[in-house]
Amino acid sequence: MSLFGSLGISGSGIDAAQTWLNTVAGNIANMNDTSPTDQATYGEQTPVFVPTATPGQVGDGVTVAGIQEGDTTGIIQFDPTNPQADAKGEVRVPDVQLSSQMVDMIQAQTDFQANTAALADAKTAYQSALTLGT
Amino acid sequence: MDGIVNALQFAVDGVAQQQQATANNLANADTPGYTAQDVSFEASLQQAIDAPGGGTASVIVSADPATAASDGNNVDTGKQLVNGQEETLQYQTMVDMLNAQFRLISGAAGGTFQ
Repeated sequence: MSLFGSLGISGSGIDAAQTWLNTVAGNIANMNDTSPTDQATYGEQTPVFVPTATPGQVGDGVTVAGIQEGDTTGIIQFDPTNPQADAKGEVRVPDVQLSSQMVDMIQAQTDFQANTAALADAKTAYQSALTLGT
Repeated sequence: MDGIVNALQFAVDGVAQQQQATANNLANADTPGYTAQDVSFEASLQQAIDAPGGGTASVIVSADPATAASDGNNVDTGKQLVNGQEETLQYQTMVDMLNAQFRLISGAAGGTFQ
């Protein structure tokens, strides 16, 4: 256990939540991308969370092991006015659901807040420890 | 284990570890397959205090037995947030008691009691 260990743990949780918010923002920003039907489209991004742990001891926070890219096949859509449309007037669009992105966003936000609350608790406790012997 | 200062010192360490576990559980609140950690030292400390001739207390880290959700994660965010608040108050109380002990000692040693 490092000195002020809780602060680093909550920090890792905040970082993870921030990464999640970033991927959600990216997914929503690219929701309406189009690409020619003979090319791949944007794949929904999801962060992969992995606990940082030593067996038998209190864990050491969370890390983002990577960003998982979803299906790039997307959906074929009829959009004849799009300059990228093929001979049949079709384009490829990403398979990103706004509803699930919004739910993820709320979850990421709650995570962020919970970690901030834990950080504030730890800070209060450590500050009181600094009054020892004074 | 004997002496109020020793017991308080051990308890402060124990609560600090509980707080670390709470922070870790919250950091992993959305990690698939994560099992929450519980830290306990109270029973062990009580045993050590009661033991004739003094015993040794230890801090025990165990897995939270709560049922996991569909993604294999069993962190209860509400419970962890409450634990965090409680641990902070416990920590502050014990630091206050340690400071009170130190004031007594310094008073007995010829200093002031405040």
